[in-house]
Amino acid sequence: MTVEIPKRIDQLPNPEPRYIGKRVTRREDAALLTGRVEFIDDVALPRMLHAAILRSPFAHARIRSIDTSEAEAMPGVEAVVTGADALRWQRVSGSSPDGWGGRCPAVEKVTFVGEPVAAVAATSRYLAEDALERIEVDYEPLEPVVDPFAAMEEGSPLVMEANGTNVMMHRVFTWGEVDEAFDTAAHVFTERFRWNRVGANPMETFGTVCEWDPVTLEMTVRGAIQSASFMGLGRAATFGLPTNLVNVKANAHGGSFGGKGGGRGIDIAAMLSRKAGGRPVKWIEDRVEYLTSGGSQAWDRHYEAALAVDADGRMTGFRVTLVDDLGANGEGYGSISAAKPLTAFTGPYTIPAAGYDLALVATNKLPSGPYRGMGPPPHFMVLEQLVDIAARALGVDPAELRRRNFIPPEAFPYTIPSGNEYDSGSYEEVLDAALALAGYDDLLRWRDAARADGRLVGVGVATAVEPGVFDWNAYATVGLPQTGVPEGATVSFDIRGCATVRVGFAMEGQGQYTLVSQVVADYFALDIDSVRVIQLDTLAAPPSFGPGGSRLGVAITGAVLGACERLAEKMRTVVAGLMQTTPETIELRGGRFGIPGVPEAQMSLAQVAGTMLARSDLLPPGMDPLPEATYVWTAPDRTPADEMGRAKSYLTAAQAVHVVAVEIDPDTGQVEIVKYALADDCGTRLNPVVVEGQTDGGIAQGIGAALYEQYVYDDEGQPLTASFMDYLIPTIAEVPRSDKAAVVTPSPFTALGAKGCGEGAIHTTPAAVMCAINDALAPLGVRARETPATPERLWRLISGAGVGASGSTGEEREQS
Amino acid sequence: MIGDRRIRVSVNGTAYEVGVEPRTTLVDFLRADLGLTGTHVGCEHGVCGACTVLVDGLAVRSCLMLAVQADGSEITTVEGLEGPEGELHPIQEAFLEEHGLQCGFCTPGFLMATYEMLTDDPKPDEDEIMEVLGGQICRCTGYQGIRRAVDCAIDKLGGTRPADVFGAGGPEGPDAPDAPDADPVGADGAGEGSAR
Repeated sequence: MTVEIPKRIDQLPNPEPRYIGKRVTRREDAALLTGRVEFIDDVALPRMLHAAILRSPFAHARIRSIDTSEAEAMPGVEAVVTGADALRWQRVSGSSPDGWGGRCPAVEKVTFVGEPVAAVAATSRYLAEDALERIEVDYEPLEPVVDPFAAMEEGSPLVMEANGTNVMMHRVFTWGEVDEAFDTAAHVFTERFRWNRVGANPMETFGTVCEWDPVTLEMTVRGAIQSASFMGLGRAATFGLPTNLVNVKANAHGGSFGGKGGGRGIDIAAMLSRKAGGRPVKWIEDRVEYLTSGGSQAWDRHYEAALAVDADGRMTGFRVTLVDDLGANGEGYGSISAAKPLTAFTGPYTIPAAGYDLALVATNKLPSGPYRGMGPPPHFMVLEQLVDIAARALGVDPAELRRRNFIPPEAFPYTIPSGNEYDSGSYEEVLDAALALAGYDDLLRWRDAARADGRLVGVGVATAVEPGVFDWNAYATVGLPQTGVPEGATVSFDIRGCATVRVGFAMEGQGQYTLVSQVVADYFALDIDSVRVIQLDTLAAPPSFGPGGSRLGVAITGAVLGACERLAEKMRTVVAGLMQTTPETIELRGGRFGIPGVPEAQMSLAQVAGTMLARSDLLPPGMDPLPEATYVWTAPDRTPADEMGRAKSYLTAAQAVHVVAVEIDPDTGQVEIVKYALADDCGTRLNPVVVEGQTDGGIAQGIGAALYEQYVYDDEGQPLTASFMDYLIPTIAEVPRSDKAAVVTPSPFTALGAKGCGEGAIHTTPAAVMCAINDALAPLGVRARETPATPERLWRLISGAGVGASGSTGEEREQS
Repeated sequence: MIGDRRIRVSVNGTAYEVGVEPRTTLVDFLRADLGLTGTHVGCEHGVCGACTVLVDGLAVRSCLMLAVQADGSEITTVEGLEGPEGELHPIQEAFLEEHGLQCGFCTPGFLMATYEMLTDDPKPDEDEIMEVLGGQICRCTGYQGIRRAVDCAIDKLGGTRPADVFGAGGPEGPDAPDAPDADPVGADGAGEGSAR
């Protein structure tokens, strides 16, 4: 049976939808506000043990020996694991690119500070940490390599000797006639940029409770897990288990943003459990562990980029050379963040040709992983700085230059040079909305007046595309399988007509359980309170990937509507049988099944469901009596990548324009954001409150990346940012209020026309803030090219005006 | 192992007299020993504020305080905010209505900090609000919903002390239920409720 999923709200079988598209308060919140939601550290199981992990103090060292005998003899200590256990039970972990995985705890040598070396399970966390002090490890320190350029040189210390190089991958992508574009361009603008390591830092660190039965080998994993099924598949692969032996029960978790990590913690807790006879073992990562050795770090990037522009200000080519420092291995899939820009390489512009020279390099730092936005945020920071450099050189207003190069509305669906297809957009309308909201002309007058008074003020306008609906095909370039990403839901009715929806993902903060309730309530014209959403374990749930890559809102809406369609069809068949007619004559409308125009031939949901459950003898022969249906949604028409990585991968393309005004204190280099306005278009807004909340959160994280956050290492690979005193998360004092306007261009490809929007603002905010800073600095003839633009970096630029002090010396080469 | 020390505390109006290891932090005591897991641990070094609880009416970082230091105190946690019939406290309602939370992990800390602020001053000015909220970290909301929620809570309370919402006898209220002995241990007088 073909299922037609409604692409517009007015296609629902309900003339008066009450929830979709409305500002619906979240159904998750009462339990969260009263401390009732069970996060992983709240879990207490009978006979549960607590784990603590001994970590390497060296960035690079050989392990000569480990003596755990004293720890094992301590009262309360029930199990100890080391690399010897990893060798016995684990396969080399999956990695990207392939061949850059390892085992955990470390075997033979450690490759970053904080790498697990041993772990203890004891009757309390306090005792487990005591026991770590009794473990003796004899290290032979090795020379570390911390700088990726040094790591690429001949004779560098090797992070993984077996690979013979620190270069995990080096590829050159060419899309279109990029050489010709640059050879024939009226202007070429070139600059170097440095994006320092930042990361997710959800307020809850990773945690897990694992049970691995030594007899049956069944493994049960609880935890703060973003993608339960993916984590389960990974654990099965690591331990060589049939996939159906690993059952994952993801807890509601305190944020993730891609950077929850967890694989290593689960592996350790699972092995401890197996050694302790299968007793549950809880491991809760502490914040210092998270900051130095968790899933925390992403995007350690050195860019050189160039923009070709013709005499009319049309961008004709874009080239990026990226050296991406992934840290000690490829286990965290940090590489996919460097691959993701292929999904939106040229942003919202009609740039016809592009090139990407991508080197993924290993160093003795924490392996990097994903973070909200997954790679495009730094990429757009680079592109947007170049656009501003061009605008300044050509004497064109930066907003106008962008307008001139936008993909026009009639060009969609639009295939970009790097292969992905954008579904729809109204970029100029979004720009106009943002400029109007910001009072752009007034802002420029304010800037010019303040500048005349000698103040360092600037206005930035930046735009970006947010690729929505994560798709593995985008990552073929770094060796990942080319396949779709399923999301499933089961919708069922009970005998009283109450709906229950079974899903496979945990609450994480994006209000998806509310969204599911909105969709079912509006489809069947129910009160939202008669819909309940239940999360199942991976072995029981419909196929699910969960949140990630701005996908779940779109994907789960498709899944739920698909299930609603199937269920409605089933119920129509039942009703038709009871009314002795054909299913096509039965209509579902406003929550009732019946023959249109015949008031006496109508049945309520409860009547139909009740008949199915209690009087299956009345159903058509062979009819499945369960009033429930499951639908598994995958993005339609995706394609595998060709030899240049070109694929139709991410299904939707949201877009935004942010306008930011800043003032820089010339004496301190401190940046104050004095105005923040934006317009964005993420298609149909299924719950505008939630969309705005995602935008607000993305702005805050973007401001953090642009101004405050950086993971710092010294020359020996020692992390210097091991607490929130050093790694600076923005507080309310650093995050300005923003004015927001919405433009709605529905996606033609998705359920109800929604686009992925969960990552949103972080794509645009760092670019916009840096544009504003560089506008402020322009009169001094200096450029900020490094994030975060800390007071010290800016002060050096200002006080040494003209001298590049931010680790980069690039300058534009203009040719005519 | 160092022996346990007996402490007496009143938590959300319930009296406890229990033994704790001297090194046990207040948050571990509340969560693990008393099972009050609504208070969350975000950083364990006193920066993020997720573990904020009220000790004798003062907002404290329960990750930086030892349980033995709370001997004789009256403690209020997020579990103590709701009404006797499970009604949300107006501060909680305000966070719900204004989308003042996403993942909800930092939220108990924000609620308790707001509760203390509005106990001290039912009409705080912008500087006060920023000062108090600036001591808490949220990674999801960008603080905009939280800021609106505080305004909303001020309106909802309309000058009523947060402790008096469900009638006298709410946490930290003038008639807070007594600990086993009316004037518990605290030689320094810290045992008195509603010290402010």
